[in-house]
Amino acid sequence: MTIASSASTKTGRLALSERIPLVPVVRALVRRSLVAITRTPSALAPILLMPIFFMISFSGSYSAITRIPGFPTDNIYNWFVPYACVQGAAFSGIGVGFTTARDLENGFFDRLRLAPSGRPALIIGPLGISVIRASFPFVTVLPIGFLLGADFPGFGGLFMLAMVSAMVSGISGLWALGVVFRLQSQRSLGLVQIGIFSTLFLSIGQVPLSVMDGWLHGAARVNPTTNLLRMARQGFLEGVTWEMTWPGLIAGIAMLSLLGLFAITGFRKVEK
Amino acid sequence: MTGAVTSTIPHEGTRSGDLRAFLAMSRRAVVGFFRQPSNWVVGTAFPLLITAVSASAFSRSTSLQGFPDTDSFLQFLMAGTILQGTLFGSITASTDLALDIEKGFMDRLLASPVSRTVILISRLAGAAAFGAGLTVFYIVVFRLFGAKVEGGLGGMAVMVVLSTVMAIGVGGYGAAVGLRTGSAEAVGNSFPLIFILLFISSAFFPVETMSGTYQAMAQANPVSFVIDASRYQVLEGFSLAEAATGFAVAIGFAAIMIALALVQLRRRLEDHS
Repeated sequence: MTIASSASTKTGRLALSERIPLVPVVRALVRRSLVAITRTPSALAPILLMPIFFMISFSGSYSAITRIPGFPTDNIYNWFVPYACVQGAAFSGIGVGFTTARDLENGFFDRLRLAPSGRPALIIGPLGISVIRASFPFVTVLPIGFLLGADFPGFGGLFMLAMVSAMVSGISGLWALGVVFRLQSQRSLGLVQIGIFSTLFLSIGQVPLSVMDGWLHGAARVNPTTNLLRMARQGFLEGVTWEMTWPGLIAGIAMLSLLGLFAITGFRKVEK
Repeated sequence: MTGAVTSTIPHEGTRSGDLRAFLAMSRRAVVGFFRQPSNWVVGTAFPLLITAVSASAFSRSTSLQGFPDTDSFLQFLMAGTILQGTLFGSITASTDLALDIEKGFMDRLLASPVSRTVILISRLAGAAAFGAGLTVFYIVVFRLFGAKVEGGLGGMAVMVVLSTVMAIGVGGYGAAVGLRTGSAEAVGNSFPLIFILLFISSAFFPVETMSGTYQAMAQANPVSFVIDASRYQVLEGFSLAEAATGFAVAIGFAAIMIALALVQLRRRLEDHS
């Protein structure tokens, strides 16, 4: 027995040399999730079909709002297609919450915790799954949006949308993990959904700030999601600019940091 | 003692027996629905949240060409919000029937000397009570925020009846799904269909401002007829003539859905016999 392993036996923690490296564990967790998706494709319905439905119904119902003075485009699809992609990315976090809550309820998460891997893998793994899931609506909503009449935003615009989708999936995934780690039940997913829906609703998801009135204007102005949506939409509206990009980056990084802390402190509650 | 027990059992085929059974099971459905706050809290609060956001987001759209003659987007939304809340709650109420199947209670009901139709119709009482109660509650809430029903008490009565009948129709649809699958989850999963019916209608924006295929679909959607009939009472005033089309569509929808549920019930009985 090595010195390191005897020390680990005494403290109950594994020495760094004995732990499985982070990357293979994260990769295994991501692969497990992808296999689960192929076995139950219905789980993909919310992140694939809902954004497509929202894109079509919002664009159809609210097509006339582009005639309101101050609306930044006369093509309703340019407004709602990137929003639908971001929505799909946000829903991917809910899926990760479901998986983790189920693992917590059936005891599989305890077995993961007992495995000789670093704790960060149990947060980074689900986060990776969330980001991969976010790419599904990105590749389904966009082609349909272009077919319906959305303008091509250029590769810069696409990159911005992809970056925001990745950040939003991470944000929603961390939010879901934080809640699920604390409440350790699939029922807590209702709270996760309410948080995500409210954040999206109380932003410039449906109309720009210049068209809003009343309390929603105040709420959307301070909601960091507004900056993320501006960053995501810029290629579809007036072209990619640094002025529209940096507030989104800062909002994304700040939300990831805060919700990362929320998830980590939640994970510590599971450990206790 | 035996005689006393026997005398309380309603007999199938007798009107008084069926009526007593209907009242008892309707009461059970209503109490069971309202006893679980999770059944009605979300269905009540969520449409109000969407309305609060939409009223603020789309307030300037009332000046658009084709928009009905009102300055208040909140007033315009009232009819759509009421139907939205009613439909969400009715689907939830109809999951109770599927739960009865899952728990085996339905089998005991079917073994009892009660008419099958009464068993089914009484189960829809929870949805109907929710539809009526929610309409009154929403009218009060909207009034508090400045949106009133121009049609007065007559208009409100039309709105209550319309949403109650629609609640029964959606409850019948949920019951049909529940009887077909025997799964409460399957009933819950049929929720997106209701969502689609609502969105592709005049619930959230006037059909006159839409265009192309979407406009044609929204115009043909039966939900639009019910909402337009209700909206007329809110924006213009009480009119039974304007409500007639809405009533016809709502009653037709409810009748078809109940017939569908009865077919599924018969099928279920045949499968189990």
